[in-house]
Amino acid sequence: MAHSFRGWCGSADHGVSRRGFLGSTVAAGSAFAANMTVLNVLKNPALAEEIKRQEKRVILLWLAGGASQLETWDPKPGRPTGGPFRAIDTNVPGIRISELMPKLAQRQQHTAIIRSLNTKNADHGGGTDLMETGRPKEPGINYPDLGAILARELGRADSQVPDYVSMYTSTEGRHKGGSGFLGARYAPMFLDKDLTPDNIRRLESISDLDHQQRMELRNLLSTRFARAREGNTLGSHNSAYARVRGLMASEKLFDLSQEPDSVRARYGPTQFAEQVIVARRLCEAGVPFVKTARAWWDSHGQNFETHLELVSELDHVMSTLLDDLQERGLLDSTLVITLGEFGRTPGINPSLGRDHFANAWSASLSGCGIKGGTAFGKTDEDGNKVVEGEVGAEALFATIFNALGIDHQKNYYLGARPVPLTNPGTEPIQEVLA
Amino acid sequence: MRFDRCGFLIALLFATWPLAGGRLEAADLLPPETSIADAVDFYVEAVQRESQVTPAPEVDDANFIRRVTLDLAGRIPSVAEVRDYVQSTEPQKKQQLVDRLLASPDFPYHQRNEVDALLMAGKGPGEWRDWLYKAYSEDRRWPDLFRSLMLPKEADAVEKPAVTYLKTRAANIDDMTNDTSRLFFGVSINCAKCHDHPLVADWKQDHYFGMASFFNRTYLTKKQFLAERDEGQLKFRTKAGEEKQARLLFLTSADISEPSLAEKSDAERQKVDEKQKADNDRETPPEPAFFSRRAQLVDVALRPDSNSFFTRSFVNRNFARIFGRGLVTPLDQMHSENEPSHPELLQWLARDVESHGYDVRRLLRGLVLSRAYGRSSRWEQAGDRPADRLFAVAAVRPLTPMQFALSLAIATGNPADLAGQQAAADQWPNRRRDLENQAYGFAQQLELPGENFQVGVSEALLFANGGQIANEYLRDSGDRLVGVLKGQSDRNEMIKTAFLSVLSREPQSEELAAVSQYLAEREDRSAAAISQFVWSLLTSSEFRFNY
Repeated sequence: MAHSFRGWCGSADHGVSRRGFLGSTVAAGSAFAANMTVLNVLKNPALAEEIKRQEKRVILLWLAGGASQLETWDPKPGRPTGGPFRAIDTNVPGIRISELMPKLAQRQQHTAIIRSLNTKNADHGGGTDLMETGRPKEPGINYPDLGAILARELGRADSQVPDYVSMYTSTEGRHKGGSGFLGARYAPMFLDKDLTPDNIRRLESISDLDHQQRMELRNLLSTRFARAREGNTLGSHNSAYARVRGLMASEKLFDLSQEPDSVRARYGPTQFAEQVIVARRLCEAGVPFVKTARAWWDSHGQNFETHLELVSELDHVMSTLLDDLQERGLLDSTLVITLGEFGRTPGINPSLGRDHFANAWSASLSGCGIKGGTAFGKTDEDGNKVVEGEVGAEALFATIFNALGIDHQKNYYLGARPVPLTNPGTEPIQEVLA
Repeated sequence: MRFDRCGFLIALLFATWPLAGGRLEAADLLPPETSIADAVDFYVEAVQRESQVTPAPEVDDANFIRRVTLDLAGRIPSVAEVRDYVQSTEPQKKQQLVDRLLASPDFPYHQRNEVDALLMAGKGPGEWRDWLYKAYSEDRRWPDLFRSLMLPKEADAVEKPAVTYLKTRAANIDDMTNDTSRLFFGVSINCAKCHDHPLVADWKQDHYFGMASFFNRTYLTKKQFLAERDEGQLKFRTKAGEEKQARLLFLTSADISEPSLAEKSDAERQKVDEKQKADNDRETPPEPAFFSRRAQLVDVALRPDSNSFFTRSFVNRNFARIFGRGLVTPLDQMHSENEPSHPELLQWLARDVESHGYDVRRLLRGLVLSRAYGRSSRWEQAGDRPADRLFAVAAVRPLTPMQFALSLAIATGNPADLAGQQAAADQWPNRRRDLENQAYGFAQQLELPGENFQVGVSEALLFANGGQIANEYLRDSGDRLVGVLKGQSDRNEMIKTAFLSVLSREPQSEELAAVSQYLAEREDRSAAAISQFVWSLLTSSEFRFNY
């Protein structure tokens, strides 16, 4: 977790206020977990605030079902594949995007478009696995997804807030992702019914003090049991309990009603918009990775009506998010990833739909570590194939890691076996990195 | 449960086992009449001696009855069971306990839960679970169950639920292929799908598609019945781009000959044609195919051979269930590049199991009566903790969701009620069935432990703040432990009852003191304090694990 200290001058004299520092009550009994040794410094709110400022966060806008690149980042107006929508200029000369995204077009300076993804897998399940973990499945290894990796890389070991929150909508197909070999410590906190996590609120039948002291009694008994016994699962059980009190203190982050009406009005009344507001609240409080999801983009029929609705909403919500982050001074430390499992066919089928297509599609990165106002890669005039800068999921992930200051060749260890974050030979897309 | 492990397969394909070291001749093994427990200890202790490791001491009676009751009955023991066992001076009490548990109404329920966890991630539908329960009540054996799963009789009211295994996988041939191979043969083969194995020359795509060919004619009809065609070949593309037609090929490379369509008479071909057309529209389950590829799989997999993938995987999975680790680990990597920790023991057990008709009770009985099973999970000797593969210290194993949920109900029930129900032979079967049904719902909220399992914070939050824990399990009514404790006037006795009920042992003096103080500080709200104390026992790792 040494990255958390980067840029910290070492002085304890910063006059940082306590205001806004979350979870200043460090959970009782956090002495268990092997990985919870580092940040006693948290007890000093000034240092904690300083560290928090250094931290980087990610909001993933997951376009479940696969959004069309032609109706978003890579329009082909006037071509047989182009569909009815025009392309418009953005505020960056030379970059044109779909007319369905007029607001984003005026904020292009924050965003890098990658137009040359060839990820080959055009199946919902397989494509989702690939774009969640950044690599094809491999024998004998259960890879963690992006959220779990970033929870581990960017999260604090004894974090008082969740470090991976994942929202999804009922139409998304309930693909949950997961922490793979990193284990349940980095598993997402799912918000699958509403925007409040399950069981985060204390029951009224127990006082806060009893709730805390009951936990201390539990820890005492459990510590006695653990003596001279070993096992990863055993450690995880105690770590999980050690985090309960801190997580409970973060409940208000999920409460939309704490957000001013003006902010809510600005984002709009949709479910996706509400998810994104909560995501921003979480990131502001130091949650390193939040996945929001908008579904269902899988427009095998009526592609253009579907995209008129969904892209317009994306344009508005994402633009508002970028503005909001910038106004709060968070855009430089927050990476916004807009991605789905694949794109859609340039060919328009008889139901006026576009089908699954993974050979030449687009994604975008905005904010932290990104050189905004760039468009990387190129597809041919009909969008059928990549003609310049072809990249796969691995390169996209390496780019994301580098944007966040994480070495994409860093190893995890499974026993003695090193497992690099991205497979050897993978290079980030330097052109879009700041 | 993830179905994506692949692994270095196979050299297994050419079926000598183990390649390194060579297979032992039967004459080199301990004699077949050796008891299973003695065979386990003979081989396990030999390796310990070689490694100069003195194993951990045997556990005390309370620890043993908790461990073995969880393993054979799927729940913690009741207070009465613990007391009876600890106080017994009977020299054969261990054997008697094990025999009682194996003959108890609990066993088929637990066995059903384990097999449901293995085959359906613990989430099989009710009729499937009932069918499995019935199968184990009738002492049906693993080869018989395998046959029923591969060739389910969907039209038969009693046997119909067996179709669940294939039906839930029928939409995806890779799931049928790899899961069947992984779960029954101990071999995950899906990494041979896209290319031949880069390291093991013998391992070809032919084997993956050979195995897949046993399932390529299996499909769901329009009315969602499981059906199998008489025709249809699987084709695949090699890495070089060449298109190949798959042969029906088992893991052992055994080729299976099948009647060729070309040799059939016109009348026969017409019959096949008509059946296939009619099957898809039928309102009732179709008849089996004239030539069933799945039937061929059953035949080749069950050919008598104690060294078969089927037998060895059966042994290895049961061994892992009892010891927390297989003789081959991971459990789906039983191939020549991944040697067993105790090759002779695996071979001896496989022979024993085959010659005793895959009697799972007999196997489990032998395993739990070994000294190796009874080791402490604490390592308190000088020197580093020995490697897990030596079985010198017992593993600390997370409970499965069903073990956990059932134990929760036992721990928080009224101990006297439980004792009464267990003592009355006509009551316990019904009580156990009710407990099963109640536990199932709670179990669905918990994650099934897999490899590298970790407890997530969602479980801790569920226990810390979930209404069901507070309002149901920790309710202070008379049918619950908390209600009983509330009525006990002697504080130390009350604390003892709680420890026995939840942790199956008496408290130690430091624990007694700490809890006593906790309760003394809350005399103004003593019922709440008792419930908080019981909560701390339930959430302690000691309750969460089999140790």
